[in-house]
Parts: sequence; C-alpha cells; structure tokens
Amino acid sequence: MHKKMAFSFPDEVLEHVFSFIQSDKDRNSVSMVCKSWYEIERYCRRKVFVGNCYAVSPRMVIRRFPEFRSIELKGKPHFADFNLVPDGWGGYVFPWIAEMAGALPWLEEIKLKRMVVTDESLELIAKSFKNFKVLVLSSCEGFSTDGLAAIAATCKNLKELDLRDCEGDDLGWHWLSYFPDTYTSLVSLNISCLGSDEVSFSALERLVGRCTNLRTLRLNRAVPLDKIANILRHAPQLVEFGTGSYTADLRPDIYSDLAGAFSSCKELKSLSGFWDVVPAYLPAIYPVCSKLTSLNLSYATLQSSDLIKLVSHCPNLQRLLVLDYIEDSGLEALASICNDLQELRVFPSDPFGVEPNVSLTEQGLVAVSSGCPKLQSVLYFCRQMSNEALVTIAKNRPNFTRFRLCIIEPTTADYLTLEPLDVGFGAIVQYCKDLQRLSLSGLLTDRVFEYIGTYAKKLEMLSIAFAGDGDLGLHHVLSGCESLRKLEIRDCPFGDKALLANAEKLETMRSLWMSSCAVSFGACKLLGQKMPRLNVEVIDERGPPDSRPESCPVDKLYIYRTLVGPRFDMPPFVWTMEDDPSLQQLSRANLM
Amino acid sequence: MELHLGLSLPTNPFLPIGYELKQCPFDAHVNDGAGGCSSSVGGGGKKRTCFDDETRVVPKTLPLLLWNNDQPNEEDDPNDLHDNFSSSSSSILKDDGEGLVGWPPVKAWRKKLRRNVHSGRPNNNRMVAATTAAKCGSTYVKVKMEGNAIARKIDISVHRSFESLTATLMRMFDICDEHLQKSFKIAYQDREGDWLLAEDVPWRTFIRCLKCIKLIRSGC
Repeated sequence: MHKKMAFSFPDEVLEHVFSFIQSDKDRNSVSMVCKSWYEIERYCRRKVFVGNCYAVSPRMVIRRFPEFRSIELKGKPHFADFNLVPDGWGGYVFPWIAEMAGALPWLEEIKLKRMVVTDESLELIAKSFKNFKVLVLSSCEGFSTDGLAAIAATCKNLKELDLRDCEGDDLGWHWLSYFPDTYTSLVSLNISCLGSDEVSFSALERLVGRCTNLRTLRLNRAVPLDKIANILRHAPQLVEFGTGSYTADLRPDIYSDLAGAFSSCKELKSLSGFWDVVPAYLPAIYPVCSKLTSLNLSYATLQSSDLIKLVSHCPNLQRLLVLDYIEDSGLEALASICNDLQELRVFPSDPFGVEPNVSLTEQGLVAVSSGCPKLQSVLYFCRQMSNEALVTIAKNRPNFTRFRLCIIEPTTADYLTLEPLDVGFGAIVQYCKDLQRLSLSGLLTDRVFEYIGTYAKKLEMLSIAFAGDGDLGLHHVLSGCESLRKLEIRDCPFGDKALLANAEKLETMRSLWMSSCAVSFGACKLLGQKMPRLNVEVIDERGPPDSRPESCPVDKLYIYRTLVGPRFDMPPFVWTMEDDPSLQQLSRANLM
Repeated sequence: MELHLGLSLPTNPFLPIGYELKQCPFDAHVNDGAGGCSSSVGGGGKKRTCFDDETRVVPKTLPLLLWNNDQPNEEDDPNDLHDNFSSSSSSILKDDGEGLVGWPPVKAWRKKLRRNVHSGRPNNNRMVAATTAAKCGSTYVKVKMEGNAIARKIDISVHRSFESLTATLMRMFDICDEHLQKSFKIAYQDREGDWLLAEDVPWRTFIRCLKCIKLIRSGC
C-alpha cells in the first residue's frame, strides 16, 4: 500500500525556494515551521549574523549552520566608541576564527564590528580560507599592517578589504606590495583609518591600475592631493572614492589635472575624505556632483558659504555627513536643494568648547525636516533646542526611523521656556511610528520615558544620558517598548527597582548597558543568580565589587542574554554575577 | 516618589492638538491576580529563535521585584538616590574642569583628526582644542612597549608625576626586576607627531602635548 506524500516537495526544491530568502528574520521564521524545514534551512543558510559574540559559541553556530559562507559578528557594546568600555574588556575574534578555520574551509566573508582582531587572527584567516573574498572590519582594533600583509599576500580571490574607523597600527605602506602582481580581483578597498605617513604611491597606483573591477577606493589622509589625479586616471570606473588630504599649494596645473581626472569618472556616486580641505580646489569635483548620492564632509573644515556652494551642485544627494560649520543657513540651503535627502549627520566642530563657535541651532534641523520629505535618519549635534522645534520636526517628518539628537551640554533645558524637553521628544515618538533608533539629550524627566514607553512600539535601540528622575523612568521603557533590543544608559538615577521588576524583559533584548547609574551590587548579584540566561557583568576599575557594601552602586553594568553562560576571557576588572548553583546544570548543558 | 500617574495634561501651549497623556500601561497590571506587576512585554511572539532544537525548559520567572504602589520606600526619596548616585559615580560630572568621559559622544578617531585646521577663522576657532588629552573628554592614552605587539591604554589623569606614571607602566607590562626597569625609558609622541623623551620635559608640558606613549629600551 502506498503512502501518498502529495504535499511534500523534494528537499532540493525547498532549498531552491529558501535561497530567495535572504533576511535573517525571515530565515528564522522559515526554520520554525516544522522540523524538516528547520533541517533543510540550516544546511542552506549561507549568511549568519551574530549580534553579540558572547551570546553563543562558535561551535554552536557551526553545528547548526554547517555550510555558511558569510559571518557577521559584533563584540563590544556601542558605548565603547566613546571610551566608556575599558581596554581589554573583550570581544576577541580569534576563538571564532580558530573554530571556523577547521570546519568551514569555504568561508568567504567575515564582517566584524567592535572586535579585537590581532595579526594572528588575520594570518589565520589568510591561511585557512582558500576562497576568502570579503573582510570588513568596522571599529576594530588590535591588528597592524603586518596582518594586512598576510591577507594581501595569500587571499587570491579577495574582493573587499574595508577597514572603517579602525585603530590599526600602521607600520607603513609596504603591506600593499604584498598583493601579487597577478592579483586583480579587488573591488573595494577602504584604508581611510590607517595613519602612516610613509606612502608608497607606486604600489598603490599599480594595484589600482590592474584591478579593473575596483568600485570603491577610500584613501587615507597621507595621500596628498597631487597624487589623486593619477590614481583616478587608473580607475575611472570608481563608484565610491575617498580622497586623502585635500590640500596643496594653489597651482593651476594641479588643479586642471585634478579636474580632468574627476571628469573622467562617470560613475562616481559617493565622495569622502577631504581632510585639510582648501576651498579653491573644491570646484574640481563639480563635474561629478550632479550624480553624487553620498557625500561625507565630516572632516572638511569648510565655512558655510563654501559648503552651500558645494551642496548646490549636488541636487541628488541622499546622504550627507558634515560638520556644524554648515550652520543654519547652510541647512536651509540644503533643504531647498536636496529634496532626495534621506540621511543627515551634523557633527560638532568644537565639541568641548563652552560657547557656540558656529551659528547652528535647532532651526537648521527644522528646516531640513521641512524641506526634505524623504529624510529618515538624523544625527544632530547642537547647543540649543526647544520643545516647539521638536514638535514641529516630528509633525514634519513622521517617517523618521533614526533620530539621534545630541545637545552638547548635558541637561540643557528648552531654551525658550526653560522647561524639560519631555514634550518635544514625546512628540517625536508619538508621530514617528516607525522609529527604530532614538538618542535623547537635554533636560529630561521621567515623563519623557512615559511617552517613550507608551508610543515607541517599534523602537529597537535607545540611548539615554543624564536624564530621568528615578526608577519609574526606566520602568516605563522596559515595560512599554515592545521591540526594544538594545538599551544603553549613562549617568541616570536609575536603580534596582526597575531593573529587577523587568528582569524577564532583559531576556528578550540583546543587551543593556548602564554606567554611572544607581544599580547596587546586591541587585546585580540577585539578577545574575535568578536569570541563568543572562550574563550580568559588572565592570569596575575601582576593584572587586564585593570589597564594598552590597548597596553600593556598581560603576558599569553590561547585561546580555546568552546561551553559553559566563565567558572565560574577562579581564580583572569585569565580574560576572554567578548563576544560582542549582540552575548551573541547565546553563552548562547549553554550552555545547 | 510618586508611582501613580495622576498627572494632569501638560499645559505647554505648543502641544499638538489631540496630544494626550495616556495612562501608563503598567497601571493596568497593578491589580492582576498574581499580586504583582508582570511585564506586559517579552513573552509570546518576540522570542528569538532558539539555536538548538532541543525542547527548552523556559523557567517562568516572576519579576524579581514586585512593583507595588502602596509603599513608598525611603529608598525612593530622590535626594537619597542622588547622594548614592553622585558619590560613587566614577564618571563624575565636570571634575576639575577636565570634562566628562565620553561626552559629547563623538568617536575617538574624530578627535584625533583635528590637526592643523585651515578654517580661515581668526579668533573664534576653538578647534584643535585638544592640547591635553583631558580636554578631549578622554584621559586615556595609548601605551606600547617596544617589542610587544599589544597596545594598552592608561588613564593619564590619575597621575601627577613621572614617578607614578613609571610605576604604573612597569606594573602594567610586568617589569618587576629593578635592573630591567632602569633599562626602559618613556618616549612619547606629541600632537605634531614628533617623538620625544619624557625625561627631557617638565610634567606639565608632557601631559599637555601628549598623544601616545612608548616604552623603549635605552642603551643596548
């Protein structure tokens, strides 16, 4: 008697169907349909994303997804960018490379963020993965150009080497000559963070010349302006280009050379660099400006008038990073010219000055929110703000997905009414229903957190500093923000109550960072004991927390969910609050 | 501390029409059968994929603290909380005019790149403000030892003399032997990129110009 399996597809068919599903979330959903879909999906998942390298072990990932080709890992908490995480905290990639080296010989892509990447790790990557193609290191540290030389020398199929915002030790440019003469597959090279002044232009030019597929090239500050023309001539097909130092003596031959080189680049869409910029040389890029969609001028110390002139040539701009030298007048011009703008970041030119050095206020942001209907993502540093402006901005731009406002002086009130900015930020979360990321600043009471808990249902990441009155504020956020994944807090009077009352919530989030708050050591211990699936890490450079009374607040607290229990690579100033011994069996079982 | 939200509608004239303060969601849970305020989120649909396929035992945890309306706690006295909070916070507000660590939240490498500004503005330009590491808001300075691949960082603001700095550096790199200690010198790179010997300058000058430190072996 036959059993008719009328409704089952052969595995290969399902696999083929799944291959069209790229997003992790969708893949995760697919894998939960039934056991056989789980099995099929796990063998054909090619990209793995691990948002916290300590949430899971490399062996577990490899066991579940034995055939992945691309991995993205994140290490340190975001506040590490601002020196709040002491050196040596962790985030070492080597154990991951070591595990993958044996099990995944066909690994092609490694993308790391805020991790410690030693030369040893780079050498192991070069040695272990014969078809290695993509290395992206974002805000990483621990390597030198020696490690890069190993990658260059060995990875014959390397397409992408992207070092963004890294702190690598630059021992010179000779690592570039380690790319063999036969090597031509480079598509993307970003070395803008390397610092050395010893440049080997011939090696660079030869490399650029023979890699005819090169699309992205971001140079570092050491490359002088008069060398750029040559480089561009070798790569007129570039789509993204980062200049080096944009300064030279004013000479017509350099200028015409440069202008000629830029005009031959018909595909350029993105420009960056512009260190030490001399305004007289800016018009050299005008030929490409009308096609530009992305412009990073955040190192360019140009005055507002020069910025306006430049921006007026770029009507198709979608992404602009700029210093606050642009001022309100520049932003008003931007609002009228760049109607396609989607992302704007305005950085402070003088973040530590007490008095404003530029005329950039809340008006600039209001203007942009009004004139740019597609604006979704904003990072804005300024020195004054009002509830009125924030409400206007919110009503203008309900399509914000990322809103990060940094009023430079902590606890600055509404400059018009001297009230807290609760209502303003409340309007932001009320009107911008798709808001995923929010950073607060200024004078804020618990009321703003009530608004956030009530309205910010899609919020995934929230950054709080110098805000709130007490535990109620934190409680609103933890109990109200359903989509919250990452919460980072510094210098707020949040204590034990809200944290303990919402312990369960912490397991649904990736991580919680609290520094200079009022969470006691006793509460940390309790949380650590009762929540085996959380690592409750106390970071305290003053010494062991149990050398002080239990009621004493800890300096820094980092809580993250994990399947593998406390990590083993903690430095002396980090303590993990131990699990309840009776639950330890449970967590050990999950280790492997 | 007021736990119950009997707040009146804000009287701010700039409120958008229809902007009302809703009751805090947690109020609805105060009287639930379990007698506690269970978190209204975090269960159900938001659970992440489990990485292994064994059936997980999900411990049903109650919140570790019952959020109770009835008993205002002495701990909740805001003054108390602030005392507790400010006395032990190590990221002290505006300490000796040296600035807060990590505030404003500008990435460290952006601060590094503020050299030799040609902005053409005369006196208003306060860029290149960083003549001391402390002014950068970060008092941490990178330290390398000759022959050692790993760079470390120290907080320069806790030191007031070369003696204390040297002692800390020796400890940091595990150089215990006195004789060996004497064979090292402190070199530093200043803001212009030049390498100098620390012993040649006064302490004040040193920390004002300091960018990073290197321990080098002198003599042989």
